[in-house]
Amino acid sequence: MRRVFAFLKKDFLQETSYRLSFFLNILGIFFNLLSYFFIDKLFGHTIVRHLEPFGVNYFAYVLLSSAFFGYAGVGLGAFSDRLRLEQQQGTLEAIVATPTRISVFLFSLVLWNLIIATVDLIIYLLLAVFLFRIDFQQINIVSCAVILFLTITSFSGLGILSASFVMITKRANPLSWLIGTLEGLLGGVYFPITVLPFWLQICARLFPITYAIEAIQSAVYKNYSLEKLLPQIFFLFFFSITLLPFSILMFDWAIRRVQKDGSLCQY
Amino acid sequence: MLKVKGITKIFFPLVLNNLPFFRHPSRQPLVALSDVSFSLEFGQVLALLGPNGAGKTTLLKIVANILLPDKGEIIFDGLNSTKNGYKLKRLIGLVTNSERTFYWRLTGRQNLEFFASLYGLSKKQTSQQIEKLSNLFEIDFLDKRFDNYSTGMQQKIGLVRAFMHEPRLLLLDEPSKSLDYRCCLKLREFLKHEILGRQKATVIFTTHRWEEAEELATLYLIIKQGRVCGFGTQEELRQATRNPKASVKELFLELTSKQEK
Repeated sequence: MRRVFAFLKKDFLQETSYRLSFFLNILGIFFNLLSYFFIDKLFGHTIVRHLEPFGVNYFAYVLLSSAFFGYAGVGLGAFSDRLRLEQQQGTLEAIVATPTRISVFLFSLVLWNLIIATVDLIIYLLLAVFLFRIDFQQINIVSCAVILFLTITSFSGLGILSASFVMITKRANPLSWLIGTLEGLLGGVYFPITVLPFWLQICARLFPITYAIEAIQSAVYKNYSLEKLLPQIFFLFFFSITLLPFSILMFDWAIRRVQKDGSLCQY
Repeated sequence: MLKVKGITKIFFPLVLNNLPFFRHPSRQPLVALSDVSFSLEFGQVLALLGPNGAGKTTLLKIVANILLPDKGEIIFDGLNSTKNGYKLKRLIGLVTNSERTFYWRLTGRQNLEFFASLYGLSKKQTSQQIEKLSNLFEIDFLDKRFDNYSTGMQQKIGLVRAFMHEPRLLLLDEPSKSLDYRCCLKLREFLKHEILGRQKATVIFTTHRWEEAEELATLYLIIKQGRVCGFGTQEELRQATRNPKASVKELFLELTSKQEK
């Protein structure tokens, strides 16, 4: 735990040395929400056919998806981003020289991002409730917690795989490109996947984000219990138990590979 | 005891380099080390000497277990580097010749506290060690940000990081680089009395300063283009070169020029 806290303290000190970036992040959330609000206004704040299963208008849908994806999605991008930063700073070699286990290093690497994502989530929710008057009274807390946990674990698997690419290829990261595409097109973050043609909906079902977004929308706006969310929970659990161990093995292999070719401190 | 057995390291470009689109003519296989073997007892100091690009840093990184060899193994205090990597790293203190191994937006103290935690030091031990070592190296800039440091100041922080957890094996890549003369002398005194005298650690260091090598080293390993040109005490190297009065500098020049012939 001492090592984990050391990473956390180091990241806190480092990130708070860029103070402007913190305030720009909050402003970014506000302007994002404002954009979605006006898109929704364009359609008259109505519940269109594709949003009927969730019982909310576009703004409420996209607000929750964005907030949730921003939080649970930490696992997707943070591993590779933080690793790349350590590579560029040259500190990766110094860390590898210490007796720090890979699992501790990986967990510590994204802990700060997880805390910041929690702050972002709180800001999203506060703006949603007090400024945009979104109704969260139907929320099923237990379902939300389970979905959140499983989403983080399954996304972390993909994130660690992505970090393994970064470890070896430095800049080129095909998985990061794929994840970016998923978020926009297939994940259901900006619109329900029922809008997509049938064959793309099938593709969307191959990725954990689709199940996660569906489940969180139903748990928050329709009070779905764990029982009702069983199919989504099953798939998220399946992604977690397959991707996470595989990705850790891949990361271990990637570290050995760069230790072999001597590119640990290259960027 | 440290045993370095048959270390060979060849840097190959990535496999992709063999494909036409990714091929880069400047990236060719490079033999960095070829069958390097030696052993050291506790309390012995090895000066690793060689011209630029000889493979000195590569060898130190392999012993530090941050670079993996293609052949050979490292055993220190009964611990094999491939099987007991984490345990072995606890026993090693490393000074690299790159200042890029610190967080530039943190202060020297914050950097040292971070790395002390990774080596498992308690808060109390950390502050005691930082206090002791910063007094020794006359560091009065611990609470300034690392990006404000000169190269010599950065080197001093690097030395404190390597000594902080009282390692049993010290790997020092040009430890006196950029240090002022006064600090160089303090470093040598510290190595002789504290590290070798009290802690009985094993030390390997690289240097291009002959007087430093002669003052500290009990053994010399001279390498060129990854191959060992000579290993032993100064007396043994003198006998090997049949030059009974040769200085370390003269031995170095003779042994490295022999390989060229």
